[in-house]
Amino acid sequence: MNAEACRIMVVDDEFGIREGCRKILVSEGYEVETAEDGAAGLELFKTRGGFAAALVDLKMPRMGGMELVEQIQKHDEDVVTLVITAYATIDTAVEATKRGAYGYIPKPFTPDELLLPVRKGLEKRALSIETKRLREEREKRLLEVAFERSKSNTIINCMADGVLVINREKQLVLRNVAAARVIPGCADAPLPASLDGVVDSAELRTLLAETLAAESRPLIAAKEIGLGKCTYMVNASPVIDPNGDILGAVAVLRDITALKRLEVAKSMFVSMVAHEIKNPLAAIEGYLNVILSGVAGEDPQRDRSMMRRALVRAATLRTMVSELMNLTAMETGHFTLKRSPLDIGTVVALVVDSYKERAQEKEIELSVACNGTVEQVLADKDAMICTFTNLIDNAVKYTPEKGHVGVRVHHDGIYVTVSVRDDGIGMTPDERDRAFDEFFRAKNEYTARIPGTGLGLSLVKRLVEMHQGKIALRTAPGQGSEFVVSLPTAG
Amino acid sequence: MADEASLILLVDDDFDFLEMNRHVLESKGYRVLCASDPDEALAKMGSDTPAVVITDLMMKTLDSGFLFSRRLKEDRRFKDIPVIIVTAVGSRCGFDFRPRTQEELQAMCADAYFAKPVTPEKLLEKVEELLMRRGREGAT
Repeated sequence: MNAEACRIMVVDDEFGIREGCRKILVSEGYEVETAEDGAAGLELFKTRGGFAAALVDLKMPRMGGMELVEQIQKHDEDVVTLVITAYATIDTAVEATKRGAYGYIPKPFTPDELLLPVRKGLEKRALSIETKRLREEREKRLLEVAFERSKSNTIINCMADGVLVINREKQLVLRNVAAARVIPGCADAPLPASLDGVVDSAELRTLLAETLAAESRPLIAAKEIGLGKCTYMVNASPVIDPNGDILGAVAVLRDITALKRLEVAKSMFVSMVAHEIKNPLAAIEGYLNVILSGVAGEDPQRDRSMMRRALVRAATLRTMVSELMNLTAMETGHFTLKRSPLDIGTVVALVVDSYKERAQEKEIELSVACNGTVEQVLADKDAMICTFTNLIDNAVKYTPEKGHVGVRVHHDGIYVTVSVRDDGIGMTPDERDRAFDEFFRAKNEYTARIPGTGLGLSLVKRLVEMHQGKIALRTAPGQGSEFVVSLPTAG
Repeated sequence: MADEASLILLVDDDFDFLEMNRHVLESKGYRVLCASDPDEALAKMGSDTPAVVITDLMMKTLDSGFLFSRRLKEDRRFKDIPVIIVTAVGSRCGFDFRPRTQEELQAMCADAYFAKPVTPEKLLEKVEELLMRRGREGAT
């Protein structure tokens, strides 16, 4: 400790001792203040403060040295107190140390006899202050560590992913709540527990064992492992200490079941699309081959009939591709609606008009009814045309000759409702449930020759839902079908 | 050219398959009856007996064609009609029904088996071959 910073108090009723001490100490660079008796010394100590040491005469009026030492110690136990005494006996020394004094200096003394215990005392004080500081720091660190530990425990336990930690002896030493859920065997086992005893999955055990035995580092193994009904992506890595020794292994288990399902659904969809595209292409190719090879003779009427059919399939294919593009755009969020106040009745009438001719060909009675005033809907015109074209097209397509297709537009102030009803072939309950699925087409004697993509209704459903509307289907075999689209009005 | 106006029954739920083959067979002078499933076929046949039956396998159910060919072979009136099974079941569902031996072909109550796609020429060839064979057997 820097001597300059040390302030020493000298308390003695003898002026000569006081000043003698002051001179010796000041010459050594200490800062010195004096008091003439115990009470004045205590007062000085309290008011000035910051004393590193106190030299205290034993016998003084008002307050003796022993008491003063005691009082000073009460205030600051790190102050080095030295008792100056003319009665240097063992008893006095013992008594003084009992009261907290560091030592005593018998009178009379030489400058060195004074300075030596002062220096030693101050050194000890510095040491004890440092020790105290270190101890406080350590305690603080311990607290921090304990806090950190509980914090990391909380975090680990709150993780959605399962965490397993094993030691070098292949014993499970940590598992979080999620891991306990995934691997019920390790939920209640007291830790550490043998891995073989608590983890059923041989795959997981092998992965952890391999991670422990990792030769090349860092090694992070990733593996898909099925546990129960779910699939997990398990990332395992060795736990390595600063010396590079492997202490254990940690595995993080992420539930990728939903992702796997999505993957399967996606590839099923792709395969379905491929089939749906292949079929019309195969038909077109077949017709062209028959025509070009001349295997069906040279009848121009026959050729035309086949070419017409090839054209129908080509048109279906093209519609399907554009519908697929629309559906994909909706999936990826690239399909944007340009909504503006729209009179649904007008749109419906427009679509019905465009089907008049087709209906006449099949002698189908196509009627449209619109009640009262017109409510506007905030909608995308193209999307609405697409929606009602699909519904009316289906109705005309799947209604046998001389049937009826009725379109009604109705509104109740909250919803504009469009009903497209036919008395065609209808659907079985199973067909009804799947009517809005991609690529679903009811297969029967009647539908076989009707071209369709199987995408129209799923497109319609999405378009309606994008307008915060709903679509309902009432149907029964032989009793026709009714599609009801409800769209919230702009008001 | 086969007997005048032999009736060929085509059963398939693929409308274009029916159309294509109908055109080719009709151009060769056959009468052709098309149906999208076995029940419709039997109903349309009425009292008319086809000379050859060409049937798909997977129609309403996976084995519609098998059930149909067995039904024909078990019926006194139809048991001598050659049956050609034409199916995409292999490429579509991954089932391998292709018969390796004559016994296997007979076990599925069929006289010929084709995996789709099959050209109308090939089918026509087989139809004529079966009709010729039948003609010879009829003569002996």
